Amino acid sequence: MPGESLTVDHVAVDYGTLRVLQDVSLDVAPGEFIALLGASGCGKTTLLRAISGFVKVASGRILLSGQDITSAPPDKRQMAMVFQSYALWPHMTAAQNIGYGLKLRKVPRAEISRRVDEMLALLGLEGFGERSVTKLSGGQRQRVALGRALAIGPRILLLDEPLSNLDARIRQSVRHEIKALQAQLGITAIHVTHDREEAMVMADRIAILDAGNVAQLGSPEEVYNRPVSPFVAAFMGADNEIRLRVERRNGEIHIPASDHNDAAVLLDGESANGDGVHVVGPGCGDVVAHFRGEAATLIAAGERPPGGLVLRGRVRQMSYPGGIYRYAVDVGDRRFMVDDPRRIEVGESVGISLPAAALHLYPAELGRHEVAEE
Amino acid sequence: MRTAPASAFGRLWQNERFLSLALVTPALLTIGALFLYPLGFSVISAFSVEDSGFGIANFTKAFDFYSNDILFTVIIVGISTVLIGAFAIAIGGYLTMGESPLAVSILKWLYRWPLFIPFIVAGQMMRTFLAKNGLMNNMIVGAGLLDPSQTTSFLDWRGIVITFVWKQTPFVALLVAGAMASLDRSTIEAARNLGAGRIRILAQIIVPQVRPTIVVGLILSFVVMMSVLSVPLMINAQNPTMLTVDMAFRINTYGDYGVANALGFISYAMTGFVAWIYLRQGVRQGGAP
Repeated sequence: MPGESLTVDHVAVDYGTLRVLQDVSLDVAPGEFIALLGASGCGKTTLLRAISGFVKVASGRILLSGQDITSAPPDKRQMAMVFQSYALWPHMTAAQNIGYGLKLRKVPRAEISRRVDEMLALLGLEGFGERSVTKLSGGQRQRVALGRALAIGPRILLLDEPLSNLDARIRQSVRHEIKALQAQLGITAIHVTHDREEAMVMADRIAILDAGNVAQLGSPEEVYNRPVSPFVAAFMGADNEIRLRVERRNGEIHIPASDHNDAAVLLDGESANGDGVHVVGPGCGDVVAHFRGEAATLIAAGERPPGGLVLRGRVRQMSYPGGIYRYAVDVGDRRFMVDDPRRIEVGESVGISLPAAALHLYPAELGRHEVAEE
Repeated sequence: MRTAPASAFGRLWQNERFLSLALVTPALLTIGALFLYPLGFSVISAFSVEDSGFGIANFTKAFDFYSNDILFTVIIVGISTVLIGAFAIAIGGYLTMGESPLAVSILKWLYRWPLFIPFIVAGQMMRTFLAKNGLMNNMIVGAGLLDPSQTTSFLDWRGIVITFVWKQTPFVALLVAGAMASLDRSTIEAARNLGAGRIRILAQIIVPQVRPTIVVGLILSFVVMMSVLSVPLMINAQNPTMLTVDMAFRINTYGDYGVANALGFISYAMTGFVAWIYLRQGVRQGGAP
């Protein structure tokens, strides 16, 4: 089953008078696994439904291996979708569900039964073929839905939040199963999810969608380490933000001391090969700095570690999610969430120590959803 | 100190079983008085013979005189039920999967109208519509499709079937369209996605999932059609006709309640048989009917 390429070319979609997809372009290479990641209402499911043909495209084109399928009906696109609710047919057995697409293609009965058995074996569902799908567990239903999609040898596999109805423990293992299966079959896959970790673990590249636009498209490392906008930074977990006044000279970022932070000279990421501060835009004047709670450490009030930015504040809340402690630290009128392995009492004065590589700087005048000109 | 013994009435009142019985009693009495008593009375009357107490003379007479009408009734109601099922599924299917929002909303608005029209009015309307010089033939002749000499009256068994189908389809379609609308839409999209056309989706994905609702709707329609007097009386009062007309005739002309009740019992047996098929199917599916 060789993978096929997919091109989404300046696609816009309207629901009535509301434009839900603005101008989305996306190139998917043969055999690639792309995750469409975003919050509810960002347009990720709409994009998937436009690709599958269930939603009409207002403008733009969709090409499957170079062939224009923009106006082809969903039943002629030869794509297979795995739905969030699994959408299995309750009046059929697991085997009938998996074999239905083959029956539609008038595959001989013996061949259908052979392919269904092959799918059941591939998905670890041997012996469940004759069982009604209503008598299967959530994980088993999910696998039947995947088998039904894969059985027809689709040109593209579409996954619409297929794991969100599974409980957390099963979800972890099914993620890897789906990814391994996709790699083994070499099929091009597009996966919609709102779960950042799921996208990171499964996808070759991630498209982060925001208000009907692709905010960033890149490998998991790129979108995690080099988010192009404050929105992407916040969505990828760097949701602590602070305004700073900085200067950029000689491959360094200079931050003067203020009421809430010590003076610091940090390596500029561009010249330090990624080890320094990630700067988007000119990196001078007023900027907004984003950082992840887990990239920071808490230090004692008087401590001054070399080579990092230190914010001064007070612990206001503590919780223990497991492994580390999570603190809410007030710095001036802002509150930051910071993880630390040590237990610190509420009310204690602390410093939040941020290594240069933990910081992402964006021009302050940049809207949360805009991307700076580089 | 000794606690005061609860009164007998108080104890009875506290007894939950008594309370629940007290609550259902009015409903039971109503069913008994308005349904079971007349039913029992008519069954007894059907099996009563003037001179010798009980016997099957009324049934023998009913079959001798009216076996054609029994067959006619079964065929008319059977054909109507099948057509109603087909139209209701088609309407429900279009409302669920139709791609033109305008056509869907027009159909949604139109299809329920006959529900609000009584059978007797429907019968009267059909008389003027289906007669040899009725509205339907006038339109066909006006359109130049037929010559006036070629037209025929539809006021026979076909008229009854047309009236029944016209009157009862909206009722079944209402139930069926509701059941279809409450299906998980992604089960329809999944089939579409795998390459199924809309007719196939209707037959293989939607109808099997709403089958219990279709069957309930059709059985209720079957029972209603078995008991309508006005339509066969107005559209086709000749021979053969439906059992309801025969019953009315036995009573009004001869005061012969015995044969009328025997015919009633036969109608009841027919509807009972249909209900039994349905219940048996529900049991076999291992679930709720």
